[in-house]
Order: sequence, then structure tokens, then C-alpha cells
Amino acid sequence: MKGHMGKILRLDLTNRKISALETEQYELWIGGHGMGSAIFWDFVQDKAISGFDEQNIIIIMTSPLSGTLAPAASGRTEVQGIGVQASPIEWFTRGNFGGRFGPMMKFAGWDGIVIEGKADSPVWVDIRNEKVEFKSAKELWGLDTMQTQLQIWNEVCGGGRFGQWLPVGETAMGQRTTQRPAVLTIGPSGERKSRVGCLIHDAGNAVGQGGFGGIWGSKNLKAISVIGTKSIPVGNPGALLEARLQARKKFGFHVDYEKGERDPHDFMFWDRPEQARIQSCTGCYEGCRNRYESGIGNESQCVETFYSFYDRAKHGGKTTEAAFKATDSLQKYGVNAYEAWRGMEYLYKLYKMGVAGPGKEIDCKLPFDKMGETGFIEEFLRVMAYRDGVGDIFADGFYRAAQTWGRLDKDLKSGVLPYPYWGLPEHAYDPRGEVSWGYASILGDRDANEHDFNFLFWEPSRAIWEGKPLPYEAEWVTRIIAEKLAPYEGNPLMLDYSSENIYSDHLAKLSAWFRHYTRFWKQSALYCDYRWPDFIRKDTPDGRGTTGEGEPLYLSAVTGQDISFLEGMELGRKIWNLDNAIWTLQGRHRDMVHFADYIYEQPFKPSWPSAWLPGRKDGKWEYVRVDGRHLDKGKFEEFKTRYYKLEGWDAKTGWPEKETLKSLGLDYVAAVLADNDKLNRE
Amino acid sequence: MAVLLGTGGALKEFVWLKNGIAAVPASEGYLLVDTKKCQGCLTCMLACSLAHEGEESLSLSRIQILQNPFEGYPDDLDISQCRQCVDPKCVEACPTEALFVDKENGNIRRIDERKCIGCESCIVACPYTPSRSSWDGIEEHALKCDLCLDTPYWNQAGGPGGKQACVELCPLGALMFTKEIPDQVGDMGYNVNLRGKGWKKLGFSVED
Repeated sequence: MKGHMGKILRLDLTNRKISALETEQYELWIGGHGMGSAIFWDFVQDKAISGFDEQNIIIIMTSPLSGTLAPAASGRTEVQGIGVQASPIEWFTRGNFGGRFGPMMKFAGWDGIVIEGKADSPVWVDIRNEKVEFKSAKELWGLDTMQTQLQIWNEVCGGGRFGQWLPVGETAMGQRTTQRPAVLTIGPSGERKSRVGCLIHDAGNAVGQGGFGGIWGSKNLKAISVIGTKSIPVGNPGALLEARLQARKKFGFHVDYEKGERDPHDFMFWDRPEQARIQSCTGCYEGCRNRYESGIGNESQCVETFYSFYDRAKHGGKTTEAAFKATDSLQKYGVNAYEAWRGMEYLYKLYKMGVAGPGKEIDCKLPFDKMGETGFIEEFLRVMAYRDGVGDIFADGFYRAAQTWGRLDKDLKSGVLPYPYWGLPEHAYDPRGEVSWGYASILGDRDANEHDFNFLFWEPSRAIWEGKPLPYEAEWVTRIIAEKLAPYEGNPLMLDYSSENIYSDHLAKLSAWFRHYTRFWKQSALYCDYRWPDFIRKDTPDGRGTTGEGEPLYLSAVTGQDISFLEGMELGRKIWNLDNAIWTLQGRHRDMVHFADYIYEQPFKPSWPSAWLPGRKDGKWEYVRVDGRHLDKGKFEEFKTRYYKLEGWDAKTGWPEKETLKSLGLDYVAAVLADNDKLNRE
Repeated sequence: MAVLLGTGGALKEFVWLKNGIAAVPASEGYLLVDTKKCQGCLTCMLACSLAHEGEESLSLSRIQILQNPFEGYPDDLDISQCRQCVDPKCVEACPTEALFVDKENGNIRRIDERKCIGCESCIVACPYTPSRSSWDGIEEHALKCDLCLDTPYWNQAGGPGGKQACVELCPLGALMFTKEIPDQVGDMGYNVNLRGKGWKKLGFSVED
């Protein structure tokens, strides 16, 4: 298949052996998550091991689109393996990061990397085209993520001489590059096997969730560096160029520097200084982050900038350098931003309750009086990264911290600990409000972090808070989106978030569509979550976006094969079933598929004035208010049954049924489930 | 030694090369860039290699974006495009006239790959770093920006009279084609301010 380089790199850390898989073996999965799950299925026999077990593997995967002109689909890379962050089961999980690592893997000739085993001492991996070496990380271990990358850059491709054409390979007559190596690394947090340690690339790209940083630490793997000079074959170059040109001219795939408009909300929580540039991942048409004059906080956005709220609160509503420095430390230590944010929030509540503090029940000497200043956050992140004192408890996440402190049940009942699913922190889109997000998370393995329908909350809600006209009518936007929800197209009730509808078959369909679309189009083909799906576009005459036509267009141009939108959806369904089979073998059962108590017992009180989503009231479409409500546990049980039936999963257990697996060509998966007594009896 | 007749703009300038033998007319096309506007997406590089070679490659791109993610703006990024120099050292250095001034196509300085013997004299002679003449390590000949005159994989007409893939596809409008000869001394002629009112509305600086 064009777009593939043909080989997947296998790194045997235990024996320090390098070998390669033929990508063709897994070609039917196309790339990304699908390939990763398939490889995991084949390579890991005992799926019930801990994420820290040596037998766990980590798969880093690109797609045919990586390193090409596909708009906002070129720069992302998928990472999978058994995670260590979730509770009570360390689900086989995923993360994804942007920047230029995936493209550089392709330019070096690799479609993916499979990390196996455990090194007997710290190593890093030096990939230069087909030349791959394990190197001692003795000098790198202990360095933060920035220092590590600078050191590796100098060793691999510089000696300080950046800006010149440098050879990659044996002779100067061979191929050359002007680029720095792309490096993925852990910081002190991962080195200390933190369950919330992450993988960092460049200044602000991260695989946040899953604790993959801690897993690398447990494997004695410090970093992977890749530099390449090869070419990615494209099926139909002319079609790809034309498609990208039309995207810009006809559909508004650009930063509208004429009108001065771009995505409504700036993706950073701090006030952005003027002296900055928009910065993007490879191939994106509208970067979502910046680089600044100070160089501090480069390439970070969204939750990574969480301290901005506290900074502003402390400094009379103004952003100070404390916000930027906090983010800088977060990235350099390599700590998951959501755990840092929600954990800090939780700890601060406990402090204000008189439970945490110097000499208190939870003995914690952090300078809480400096909340909002550098003094507090620097110490908080440092102790968390270095497992220093009480930081040793923070380092395994605040769900486990609450358990250690004997507070888990009561803090989940009250909602003081905002961890609604799988022992993981809430994203900001509470399951009681934007149910599609909550369902996506609880029906899967992690905080979904998929923004497909999130704009249906933001855009109307913002307009309502600011007393401005609504961007569009609820009836219109739900109808337009519903057209694109093939194979369930034409059913706007899938987007009715009113309390009467959120447990219905319609929401079950929305949930299924959401899982299948993201599993294939976003996590396998690697269309970026922030720019896809493309439902609505103000640049087109009728306001319709390009989802449905757009995704297959670029994939077909690159691969030279016709892969339709529906074929992609079906492949997504197949991948989702494979994942559920893995979770089933990990011990999953419908009885554990439940939110934390507060989701059922406490009314949703958001941090913003109110929360609105499209819904129907007395048969008419409008924006319904979704804060103030909670979910009904009994009705959620019924919803699960509806959802399982829709997916063709056993309603009693939530496990995939034999016929479903067979219809997807997953007979071999059914056989293993049967062997483990996890398949429905006739 | 350069002999300039008239002041820039529409008037042609002629340059005597060091050997005193040939007079070289100025190019009728130049790429200007705004390094403060660029987002480092590398769309230009991917468009360049795809249009010329039919494949995606950073190494085969005739425009190079250099970045340091940790550096402070605006020093974190540089754009290295061929300047179509009025006094082209690469043309002067080429022993086979593979790198030549194409008088039939607006005097662009470009490479006839059939004549290139791979001596790399042009690469060494380019006064800029990274050299704007670069190396195709697979086919073993030099490469250089030809303002998209010869793009077998792109259906648009290029050259000084046509369109350039990098300019057409850049999602920021950070690249511009011009027929006017830029100031040859330093960078100011080629690194220009393309940020206007709209950019200011986004909240970014529109300073030079």
C-alpha cells in the first residue's frame, strides 16, 4: 500500500536485538491504532498482565498519511500498550501525540516501532534511516525532557552545526538533512515509574494518559531518537496536491489571516503575548499552539496551561510568567497534565478542608499560601516528579492517593475527587452534561479526550454566557451533523442531549458511531482530534464541512486505493471489537462499567456559568441546559444494555458475541475468548 | 563584479560573472518569505517534493524550514529558500552548465539534471547556509528551486509566469512570489512582512 514504508521496527530491549516486521502483514488495518491492537493481540499472550510486566509491549504507530500533505492528518502518532494509570484494571490503552515524530519515523523508513522486554540498564535508541542502535543512557538518565533532547540532537546531528546539510548514513554522498532528530523521551517522572509519567516530544507534544512514561522507566528506556532522509511513496501525487489546494481555496483550510479569524477559542488558557507565532504539527493547516519570545511554554496548549487560572486569580486577572513557567516545568518533568491539574485541585480542596497541610491528617508541607505563584506549582510538580515525601503518593495518581489516604469512597461520593471513570481525572466535560464524552470514556478504557461533539457545548454556551446571538440554531446544526453520521445517517435524535433522551437507542447509536469513527479515522488513519471530524464550516456556502468526503479523499490519494468512508467506519467497528476482546481477557464485565458515585448522586455544578447542548423540549429543538442534573444509575444500566445489543455484545457481560466477531473476520479472536470461557454459550 | 544598470523594479539588471565571459540577466521571479508568520507545518516542503518528485520527502525539498522548538520566537524558525541571486555563484561554479540561467523561462537559475555530473560545486559555491542548491542522494545529482517550472506531478503551470506549489499551498500566506528584484544585500529583501490587519486582529505582532 502506498503511504507505507514497508517495515515496522522491533526493539527487543532484553536482548538488545533489532529486527523488523513487514508492514504488509498488518496492512488490512491500514495504520495507527488498528495495527497496534492487531500487533498487541499477536505478540502478548497473557493479556491480563500488569502494565509494568516485562512482557507488556508498547507500540508506536504512524499511518499512510503521516508525513504527507493530508491536512491535519500528517503529524499525529498513536501509542498503545497495557497502561498503568487506570483503576481497578490497568486497561490496554492508548495515547496520541503531535509534532513531527511520526513523519520522521516514515522518513527514516519505519511505519511503526514495537518496544518489547526490559533493558538491564538505561538505554536510548538511535534510529538513523535503517541504522538502529541501542546506546547507553547513562549520561541522559536524570536529565529533564528538554536537556535530553538537546543532548541527543548534538550527538546525532549537530555537534552544534545546525543549519547545514548533514549526512545521515555512511557517506557524505548519501542522503542529507537540515532537520534535527525527532526525539520521544521521558523525564524524571517516567524514570521513577510514575503511573502518570508521560512521553514528551520537542517542547510541548505529549502522550499524556496511560502512564507510558512510567512504563518506559520500568523498561529502562530513556528516549527514542529518529532522523530520516527517505521518501514516502504516494499513490496519486496530483490528486493529493489538488485536494490540498481545494481544501485551502474552497473549504477554508487555512489560518484566515485576511479576516483575522481562526478557531474561536484560543487553545491556551493564558493571555497570549503579541510576540509569538502560531506553531503546528507537520502538515496541519491551522496550528493550535504557539512559540513565544521567552521560549517558555513553547508548543503547549489546553490543559498543559492549567496553572493560568490560578495565576490569574492570584494576580488580579492578569497572566504572569508563573503560568508559563508552570507549563515549562510540567513538560520538562514529563508529568501528565490532567493528573497534575485535577490532583492539585483535589489537594487544594483537602487543604481548605483542613485535612491536608503541615502536620495535618495528610501531612503535606507544600506552600499553599503561594497558590497561583511559581513557588507553589514548582514545588508541587517537583515532589510529584521526584517522588519526594508526599510526592511519592502523588506520583501514582490521585485516585490511588485517595485510596492510600482512606478517602476514596467518600470523596467519590461527594465529588470532591473529580475522577468519574476508571480512576482517571475528569476532562472538564462532565459525564452528567456532555454524556457522549462520558459514555465514550466509560464504555472504553480511558478519558476519551475526543472532541468531535464538544463544539456543540462550547459554541452555544459561550454565546449564551456573553449575551451574543447563537452561532446556529439547534435544529440546523443537529440536522447537518446527522447527515454525516453514516451508517446511522439521518437521525438527529442522536444529538438530543435532553434528559429524556440520553439513555435511548439514539444515544447508543451516537456512542457506537463515535467509537467506530475515532478508532479508524482518527486513531488509525490519524486525522487529528482537534480538526476532525469536519462537521460544520462557515467558509462553505451551505455551512457543511467535509467529513464524509474529506477523510476518504486524502487517504485514497495517498494509498492509491479506494477506501470509502463507510469502509473506514466498518474497520473502526472491527478495531473496537478487537479492543473489547482484549479488555474482556483483562477481566472486563459490564458490572464494573460504572461511573463514580457522584455522577449519579450529585448535581452537575460546572466551573462555568452554565452548560448548554442541543436537545428537544416538547418536540422542538433548542439548546437545553444540562448543568444541575445527574445521571440515573438504573437508566444508565438500561442504556448499557441497549448499547451492547447495538454492538452485538452479550448484554449480560458486555463481551463481544461470537457472531459479531465472525462477521468482522475475527474468528481467531472468538476462539481465544472461547478458550478462556469468555464467549457466549449457544 | 556586478554592474547594475538602473534602479530595481522593471529594469533588467545584468551581471558580469567573475570570469568576465558571460553576462547573466536577472531572474524574473523570486520567493519572498515571512519567517515571523510561518507556523512550521512544512506544507511547503511536502508540496515541493511531491510536485517535483512525486513523493513526500524533506531531503528532496528545494525549500527548507529549520526549527528549534525550545528557542524563543522569532529565532526558533528560519526559512531557507533559493534567492535566484542576481549574481548567481552556483551558475558561475557549474562546470557543465547544468546549473544555468534559463533565458526561455524568465531567466530562472535552474538545474538540467541530465547535464549534472554530481560534482557538487554549486552546493559548495552557494553563499547561504544551508546551501540552496542541494543533493539528491538517490539519483545523485543536484537539486534547486526552479519556481516550479518543472513539476511533472502537479497540474498547474509554474515558472515565473505561473504558480509555485509552496506559495499556493501555504496555509498562512507566509510565502509570496514577486517579479521585483529584492535587495541582494542581507536578508531584508527576502524576509519580508506579510502580516496585515487580519494578523493583528488575531492578536499577533505585525512589526517587521
